[in-house]
Amino acid sequence: MIQLTNIWKKFGEKQVHNGVNLEVRDNETLVIIGRSGGGKSVLLKMIIGLIKPDSGSIMVDGKEVASLTYKQLQRLRFKFGFLFQGAALFDSMTVGQNIELALRRHTDYKDADITERVKFALRLVKLENVEHLMPSNISGGMKKRVGLARAIALTPKYMLYDEPTTGLDVETADGINLLINELKTTLGVTSIVVTHDIHSAFVVGDRFAIFENGQFIMTGTKDDIRNSPNPEVRKYIESDIQT
Amino acid sequence: MTETTPESTLLSRTGELFFRPGKTILTFFEHLGRYMSTIGWMIYNFRNAKEYSGNIIQQMVMIGNNSIPIVLFVSMFVGMVTAVQSSYQLYAWIPRSVVGALVTKSVLLELTPLLTALVLAGKVGATITAELGTMRVTEQIDALEALAFDPISFLITPRVLAGVLMFPILVVFGDLVAILGGMFGASAIAGIPVEAFVDGMKSSFETWDAIFGIIKATVFGFIITSVSCYQGFQVQGGSEGVGKATMNTVVLACLSVVVMDFILASVLL
Ligand SMILES: Nc1ncnc2c1ncn2[C@@H]1O[C@H](COP(=O)(O)OP(=O)(O)OP(=O)(O)O)[C@@H](O)[C@H]1O
Ligand SMILES: [Mg+2]
Repeated sequence: MIQLTNIWKKFGEKQVHNGVNLEVRDNETLVIIGRSGGGKSVLLKMIIGLIKPDSGSIMVDGKEVASLTYKQLQRLRFKFGFLFQGAALFDSMTVGQNIELALRRHTDYKDADITERVKFALRLVKLENVEHLMPSNISGGMKKRVGLARAIALTPKYMLYDEPTTGLDVETADGINLLINELKTTLGVTSIVVTHDIHSAFVVGDRFAIFENGQFIMTGTKDDIRNSPNPEVRKYIESDIQT
Repeated sequence: MTETTPESTLLSRTGELFFRPGKTILTFFEHLGRYMSTIGWMIYNFRNAKEYSGNIIQQMVMIGNNSIPIVLFVSMFVGMVTAVQSSYQLYAWIPRSVVGALVTKSVLLELTPLLTALVLAGKVGATITAELGTMRVTEQIDALEALAFDPISFLITPRVLAGVLMFPILVVFGDLVAILGGMFGASAIAGIPVEAFVDGMKSSFETWDAIFGIIKATVFGFIITSVSCYQGFQVQGGSEGVGKATMNTVVLACLSVVVMDFILASVLL
């Protein structure tokens, strides 16, 4: 379980998070919906200790992230797979090297096992024979898939998806959404998905959290969101109707 | 995503320097502190060789081998110019062999290490900052951390090590070529026989001069690579930020090199 309590964070003069509270339950997919520049990516990064909140508590499986030693923090990060907003593939490495990097460092698998594991991860994201390609030579949708394969290579317990479908055409986006659902069932992961695409949100989410002005103004199921009278929430629902 | 706030305009930046010196000094020490703690972290984790060993060779090729042509080119011309100018400056009654001595001394002690460092501050420094800065703004450094890697050991340590190892080697090559260039310049342009040049060179040569130049090269290699790595890591604000940081690196590395040049000369000579 992941629990954020009263998180405050400011960059320079700009207050980005004003007392964020959030709970992610085991085996669910929680979708965070919010406007651009609101601080959603930073929130995901805080969960694995890439950015430190000014105050507040982040508990992962009962452990306070801020109080972990460097070694413990590294171990915590093994539990997470992170799909970055722009996929963040290492552009000096091939697709295969991107995926096997963590396997080589953190496991004692033999070469053959690693090759097998890379193939397995690629197959999960519906890719084949792309190991030798460079990230600069593949499409945006494919980058997201490779980023996904890299994130699941070490079989994480939690997946953090930062805008997995932004910038993709509808068909490719649907493919990614199906993948997210598939990974949930095959790997049994607990996921947080950040998006501002309400359509994708409803495809993958079990619960939804609306992020506005540095806070979650509402969390709930699809019906809770749909029936909410709050105009800030309705704004997102109405945008669904338009698309 | 960048916003143009009044703070970020050039005018108010310059204004800040004059009207809010306190803030400017604070920012400087903040950066210095973070730079030092990055270096500290790098040294502290030096025992975890598996974190960085995989990338050293690649960086030695990038920083060392790829710089050989430009270093040799610059050194050759430096040697030739020094020979031609010193023979021009000498009175007629001074023995011509003195040119050999002058060229050797100034090349070994000062010219090759300093000019190599200034050239590489541009070439190597800019490359490193642009590369790491791009990795920062495209979240590749975050991705490394998320995969439980230590990005300082993985990215910075091999670059700094390669700089510390390759700069002295480049300077040794540069020294040799500069002296040959001096010999050529002296004989071809200033009409000084090669034997006279070599006589002067032999009579004045001291091993310490060469060693001093090599020590300087090592220190310059460390400064240039570590400053440019730090700059790359702290880039903010997209590709514009990368460009700015790259320019800052070249300026900062050059300034650090000339200041350190003076300090080393004062302390060691
Ligand atoms: N390392 C940082 N240093 C300074 N400011 C930062 C940093 N990271 C994020 N910010 C600022 O924090 C705010 C929130 O950023 P964040 O990337 O979390 O937004 P977001 O909700 O993910 O938006 P988007 O939908 O555009 O990805 C932005 O204004 C950004 O400029
Ligand atoms: Mg974001």
